[in-house]
Amino acid sequence: MTQLLIGQLLNGLIVGTLYGIIALGVTLTFGITGIVNFALGEFMMIGAYSAWYLADVVGLPYPVALLPAVAIAGLCGLAADQLLFRFTRDNLVNGLLVSIGLISIIESGALLSWTATPKEMDYVLSGTVRLAGIGLPKMRLVVFALLAAVIFLTYVGLMRTWLGRAAYAYAQNPEAARLMGVRTGLLQSGVFVYSTALAGLGGALYATLYSLEPFMGGLYVLKGVEAAILGGIGSLSGALVGGLILGVTESIGAIFLPTAFRDAYGLIFVVAILVLRPGGLFGEGR
Amino acid sequence: MIAALAAVALALVPLVVKADFVLTIFIFSFILGIAAVGFDIIFGIAGQLSMFHAASFGIAGYTTFLVMKAWALSFWLGLLPALALVVAMSVVIGSICFKFRLKAFYFAVVTLAFSELARLVVMNWTGLTNGTLGLMIMAKPVIGFGSLSRPIEGTLAWYYLTLVSLALAVVAARAVVRSWIGRACGAIRLNEDLAQTLGIDIFRYKMLAFAIANVLAALAGALFAFYTGYIDPSYLSIGQSLDIIAMVLIGGQGTVLGPVVGAFVLTGLPHLIEIGAEQRAMLIGAILIAAILLFPRGIVGSLIRLARRAV
Amino acid sequence: MLFEAAHATKRFGGLTAVADISFAVDRGEILGIFGPNGSGKTTLLNLISGILPLSAGRLRWKGAEIHGLAPHRIAALGIVKTFQNPQLFLELTVAENVGIAGHLALKRHLGFGRVRELFRPAQRVQPGLDAQSERILRLCRLDSVRDQFAASLSYGQEKMLGVAMAMMCEPELLLLDEPASGLGEEEIANLEAVLRELRREGVALCVIDHKIGFLGRLADRALALRHGALIAEGRPEAVLNHPDVIEAYLGRQHVPAEA
Repeated sequence: MTQLLIGQLLNGLIVGTLYGIIALGVTLTFGITGIVNFALGEFMMIGAYSAWYLADVVGLPYPVALLPAVAIAGLCGLAADQLLFRFTRDNLVNGLLVSIGLISIIESGALLSWTATPKEMDYVLSGTVRLAGIGLPKMRLVVFALLAAVIFLTYVGLMRTWLGRAAYAYAQNPEAARLMGVRTGLLQSGVFVYSTALAGLGGALYATLYSLEPFMGGLYVLKGVEAAILGGIGSLSGALVGGLILGVTESIGAIFLPTAFRDAYGLIFVVAILVLRPGGLFGEGR
Repeated sequence: MIAALAAVALALVPLVVKADFVLTIFIFSFILGIAAVGFDIIFGIAGQLSMFHAASFGIAGYTTFLVMKAWALSFWLGLLPALALVVAMSVVIGSICFKFRLKAFYFAVVTLAFSELARLVVMNWTGLTNGTLGLMIMAKPVIGFGSLSRPIEGTLAWYYLTLVSLALAVVAARAVVRSWIGRACGAIRLNEDLAQTLGIDIFRYKMLAFAIANVLAALAGALFAFYTGYIDPSYLSIGQSLDIIAMVLIGGQGTVLGPVVGAFVLTGLPHLIEIGAEQRAMLIGAILIAAILLFPRGIVGSLIRLARRAV
Repeated sequence: MLFEAAHATKRFGGLTAVADISFAVDRGEILGIFGPNGSGKTTLLNLISGILPLSAGRLRWKGAEIHGLAPHRIAALGIVKTFQNPQLFLELTVAENVGIAGHLALKRHLGFGRVRELFRPAQRVQPGLDAQSERILRLCRLDSVRDQFAASLSYGQEKMLGVAMAMMCEPELLLLDEPASGLGEEEIANLEAVLRELRREGVALCVIDHKIGFLGRLADRALALRHGALIAEGRPEAVLNHPDVIEAYLGRQHVPAEA
C-alpha cells in the first residue's frame, strides 16, 4: 500500500508541476494585467502540437525542437496580445470574454488541422529510475525538474531583476508606476507573452508524457485556474504549491475514489478556498 | 412596440413558410432565446458574468423528465420541481458568491466550478441519468385538460408553443428590467459602492437576478430536451454556456430583443452558410471577439443608437 | 439625541485611524468636522455609514445600536453619506441618477405595493417620486442639465449631484464629505442655501470640510480631529480659535501667546 501511495504521490507531484506552470501563467497575467487569460490552455496546446510536429514530422531531435515549440507558443501569444488584448486593457471583463472567444478559434483550428485523433509523440527518453523503491520513468523526472526550475527562475527573476521589480511595483500601484516612467504597455505585453510561453513549455513537455488532442487545453486551463486560486491569485509560490497540492490530491484520490471524481477535487478546492480563505493559501486571508 | 410587431410577424410566419427545416430553426431560436434573455438579466443588467446557465439548462431537462417518469405527471407539473431545484441551487451558489462580495472573475470561476461539478455528477450518476449515453424522451407536453387535451407534437404545434413561451419570457423580463428591480440591478452594475449607500441591498438583488436568469435557462432546457426528444450531459457543457453568452453579446446586451436576435443569428448561421462544425465554432468565436472589441452594443444596441441619432 | 457615537475606534493593523471619539448630533443641527488631512474624518464617516466595521465603541441611532449593520440598512434607517470623490452612475443622465436614488423612498412609501410596478411597466408607480426628484434637482440647480449624462458634468455639478442623490434618500442624518472642495464661490453659496434648507426641514448634518469660512458660518457646533483623536468641541468660533486646533493646522508658532 505504501508503495502505491508513494508512487501516486510522486506522480501527483509531476502532474502538479504541469498544473503549476499554467497556474503561474494565470497568476502572472492576472496580477499584472488584471485579465484572466482562459486561453492559456490553448497556448499550451500549441506548444504541445508544435513540439510533436517538429520532433516527429520534421524529424528534429527533441531537445532541439523544444525551444522553437515554446517560441511558437510565445509568438502566438504576442499576436493575440497585439491584435486583441491590447484593446481590452481598460475593461477586464471584456478581456476575459475575448480569451473565451479565442479558445473556440484556436481549438477548432487545431481540430481542423490535426483532427481529434490523439497524437502520440515518439519516445524521447525511455527507461526508468528507481526512487524510494519505485520505478519512475526518466522522462517524467526530467519534465518535473525542468518545470520546477523554470518556475523557480521566474520567481527569482521577478524578485531580483529590475524588470521584475518594475512588474511587482506596477501590480501594487499601476498609476504610480506609470507616473514613474515604467512602460506599462510594454510590461503588460511582456507578461502576457511570457505566460503564453510558459504554457507552451508546459505543453511541449506534456507532449513527451501523454497523448495529444485538441481538447487538452480546456482541461488544463481549468486546473491551472483552480491551482492559482488555491495558492492565491497573485502569489507566485502559491501557483506552484497550488498546482502540487491539486496534482497530489488527484493522484492519491484515484486510489480511494473512482476516477470519475478526478476532476471534482479541483472544483471543490476552489469553492472551499473562496469560502474559507478567499486570498488563497498564500494570500492575505480575509 | 417593436417587440409586439415582431411577435405578430413571427406568429404569421408558418402561414408563409412551409419548409419544416426552416421552422425548426425558428423553434430552436425561440427556445435558446429564452435562455439568452435570462442571461442578459444577470449579465447585461446586473453586470455579473455567470457560467451557470448551461447547468440550469441541463438540470431542468433531466429533472422534468425524471419527475414525470417517476410520478406519472404532466410536463408542466414535472417542470415545477425542476424550476424549484434550479432556484435552490441559485440560492446556495449565490449565497457563497455574493455574501463575500467576491470580484467579478471569482463569480465566473465559482459558477463555472459548480456547473462543471453538476455535469460530472450527471455524467457519472449512470443509474439515474444513463451517463453519457443520455436519455430518450418520448413524452410530450400536453395542453388543455381532460377530453380537450392535445399533446404538442409536430413542427407547427412546437412552433407556437415555443413562440408563446418566448413571448411570455420577454414580457416578464421586460417587466422586471423596467421596474425598481431592474433599476437596482443596473445601479449595481454601474457603481456598486454608490448603490449600497443609496440603500440598495446588493446581496438581495444579485441573488434575484441570478435566480431569474437560471429559471429562464431552466425553462429553455426543459423545452429543448422535450423537443429534441433526447438529453445527455453535453447540455451542461461549458460550450453551451458560451453559446448563450455569445448570443447575448452579439445580439446586444442590456436590450430587450438583443438576446433573441442573437439567438437567431447563432442558430441560423450554420444553416445559411454551409460550413463544418469546426468552422462554425471558429466563426462564432471570431464574431464574439468582434462583438466585444468592435460592436460592444451588439446588433440591436447599435440599431437603437443609430435610430436615436437619426431622431 | 438623534445620533450618538461613544468611544468609536478604528484600527487598521498597527495604525489607529480613529481613537476613542464620542459625540452626538441632534435633529436640525449642523455639526462641522475640522481637521488636517489624515486626521480620521473620512474614516469616521465611513464607520457611521457602515462601510467600515468598528474596532471598538458603539454607535446609537435613535437609541438603538447600529454598528455592524450593512451599509444599505444604515441608509434605510435614514443615515446617508456622500463621497469625497463624487461617486455617480456615469452612464446615466442626471435625472436617472436621482431616479435610482429614489429606491429607498419607493420602498418606504409603498412597501410591497411596489410589486404593482411589475405589472405596469410603462409608468412609474409613484408619480410623487418624480415630483420629489424634480424639486431636488431644482434646489440643487441641476434642473438645466437633467438630461445630460453624469459623465459630462463639471466638477461642481458632480458634487451637487452627489448631494442631490443623498437628499433623494430622504435622510434624517446626512453625512457630507468635503462637499465644498473644488467649488466656486457661486456654487458654495448655492450649497449653503441647500444645506440651510435641509436644516430647516429638521435634517441633521455632519459636514467635513476644509473651507473654514464656509463651514464656520454654517455649523451650529464643531468638532476638531487630529491623528484620529478629538481635540476640541464646541461652537465653531471657539473650536477654530482653540490653540490645539491652530497648532494642528498651522503649527505651534502660530498659536497666540496668551491662549
